[in-house]
Amino acid sequence: MRFFSFHLMPYPDLPPDYDGPAWITCPNELFDPRLGGDLYNRYIDELVYAEELGFDGVCVNEHHQNAYGIMPSPNLIASILARLTSRVRIAVVGNALPLYDPPTRVAEEFAMIDCISGGRLIAGMVVGGGPEYYSSSLNPAHARERFAEAHDLILKVWTEPGPFEFIGKHYKLRYVNSWPRPIQQPHPEIWIPGVGSLETLEFVAKHRYAYMGIPYFHISAFERMFAMMREACQKEGYDADPLQLGWLVPIFVAETDAEARRRYEEHFWYFVRRLLPGINISPPGYTSVRSAENIMKNAGTFALNLETWDEVVDGQYAIVGSPETVTELLSANIERLGVGNLLGLFQLGTLPAADTKQSLELFATEVMPKLRDSFPGVHSAGAPVPAPAVAPS
Amino acid sequence: MTTLARHTLDSAVGEIEVHRGGSAGPAPLVYLHSAQGEGPGMALLEQLADTRQVVAPLFPGFGSSEGLQHIDDIEDAAFHVLDVLDRLDLPWCDMVGLSLGGWMAAELAVRWPERVRRMVLVNPVGLYLRDAPITEIFGRAPSELAGELFADHDNPIAQLMRAMDGMEADPSQIPFELVRPILQSQAATAKVGWNPYLHDPKLLSRLGRVTAPTLIVHARKDGIVPRAHAEAYASAIPDAKLVDLDAAAHLAPLERPDEVAKLVLEHLGD
Repeated sequence: MRFFSFHLMPYPDLPPDYDGPAWITCPNELFDPRLGGDLYNRYIDELVYAEELGFDGVCVNEHHQNAYGIMPSPNLIASILARLTSRVRIAVVGNALPLYDPPTRVAEEFAMIDCISGGRLIAGMVVGGGPEYYSSSLNPAHARERFAEAHDLILKVWTEPGPFEFIGKHYKLRYVNSWPRPIQQPHPEIWIPGVGSLETLEFVAKHRYAYMGIPYFHISAFERMFAMMREACQKEGYDADPLQLGWLVPIFVAETDAEARRRYEEHFWYFVRRLLPGINISPPGYTSVRSAENIMKNAGTFALNLETWDEVVDGQYAIVGSPETVTELLSANIERLGVGNLLGLFQLGTLPAADTKQSLELFATEVMPKLRDSFPGVHSAGAPVPAPAVAPS
Repeated sequence: MTTLARHTLDSAVGEIEVHRGGSAGPAPLVYLHSAQGEGPGMALLEQLADTRQVVAPLFPGFGSSEGLQHIDDIEDAAFHVLDVLDRLDLPWCDMVGLSLGGWMAAELAVRWPERVRRMVLVNPVGLYLRDAPITEIFGRAPSELAGELFADHDNPIAQLMRAMDGMEADPSQIPFELVRPILQSQAATAKVGWNPYLHDPKLLSRLGRVTAPTLIVHARKDGIVPRAHAEAYASAIPDAKLVDLDAAAHLAPLERPDEVAKLVLEHLGD
């Protein structure tokens, strides 16, 4: 079992009278650069602190033109983390490949982070959320094709000697020859986040990568998603390793259940009601018709539809409570979902630094050790990563 | 009113759906539909078929037409239409296009002007005018779009679009069979019109190559394409004129089939 601390880097100061979406068209005059600077530094500190507390890794991700996560370049943050930490794995979950042209940029920057960190990078690759296709004007109907082609190019950059020529449909590069190359050979561990699109699951299974279920759905949606992932791996002729599955979930720990809810609830609702609106826009052609059907089945359980705290608890949209309660709920779900990576979102919405810190500490001292005992898989910090996805040719 | 029959045609990109029927007239009439995918059962076409041989192909991604994976942009669309004309054995024809279909007709006519005898473009997209942007159609609530597409609040399609809003809270309740064709046609529209947004930067300077006498129809209540676009088409095409249609919005041929049929037949010289 591996434990990660994931940070979205949300903007906690949308004015109370702003009721528009947090994405694409949320006016950027609402962003206060001085506050932004404080936030970046605070959030980086929270990630660095996770190493001190014994987490196996930290996670950052990429979103553009929004208040939900002010991290358009997770690679900048990851490179700072590479320098400020010495042990944890640094997971960039991920770079939205179609947005990089040429995508050799991703191969280069990931290799830099891997070098600076001494081989601790987890390279996440993602098609990019629906809103990114409005924010970039990139054609969503080409998203899957570009992702697949960019992925092939990046893997080739890492596993084949340069220079070489790469002539694809979307990228035509006559001299590919990345300096630097990654320390991890044949390449860093690769994670792919998703919301249950069949193409993505099949892609991950085929390459033996790891699949990270994106949160904010009812726990039953995760159950279906991971079952589909296991099935996809079986179709490829092998059983999924739990380390190929990751569950991302908001977590808050306090002394008692009542105290936890009292201190957490308003921050959770800020996240759901102020930062999620707009995230679920699905541009035309972005998912295949067969995947759209599957995604629509889960859409009714999306966190945006939540109204009461009871619904949050019932659907396990966030795991909130005393160390005992959180341990019990996480144990049950890790068992039920069969995942080998737990990605905790400890800071969420407007949750202040002091509460975030205390929750992280309680989790690391009271919850994580018990879960490590219950799920003693061979993998912990620094252990070898799962079998390489692509053999060097 | 003459009913059209559904046929299939093997095109270079795959099997496509073609609706055709009617009487032999001075020239076959090809209708290119909008992003709405209209054609089957359309009153305008049934009226035109009384005196014309009407042919309405459905673009890949619309109806049961295949081959969208081979279409990447508006140039692919123009070559696809050319391919369909070849396979239908139409060395030349009259062309009527609505919105997206109007744009495709124009792209065809600048490349192969000899294939188009006379042309009618109704509320065509295809141009970029700095001071007169085309309204955003992607990612909008159907209820909002309804008012821009239809002047008549009570039009059945407009009513259906308004009803769709209530279903968005729980999409799992919508029968997927209803959603599938909408998703496919939206993907097809995005393929050709996402970026550049519903235009081809090179089209305006090429419109001088059109030889077909062309009628541009602008509906006064169109909430999608400003009148300036109709004016730009009319002044760039050598033999063109512009008429305005009252009490109709973007999908004017669905709202005012009689008036549009009359304008089309007059222009085609029947």
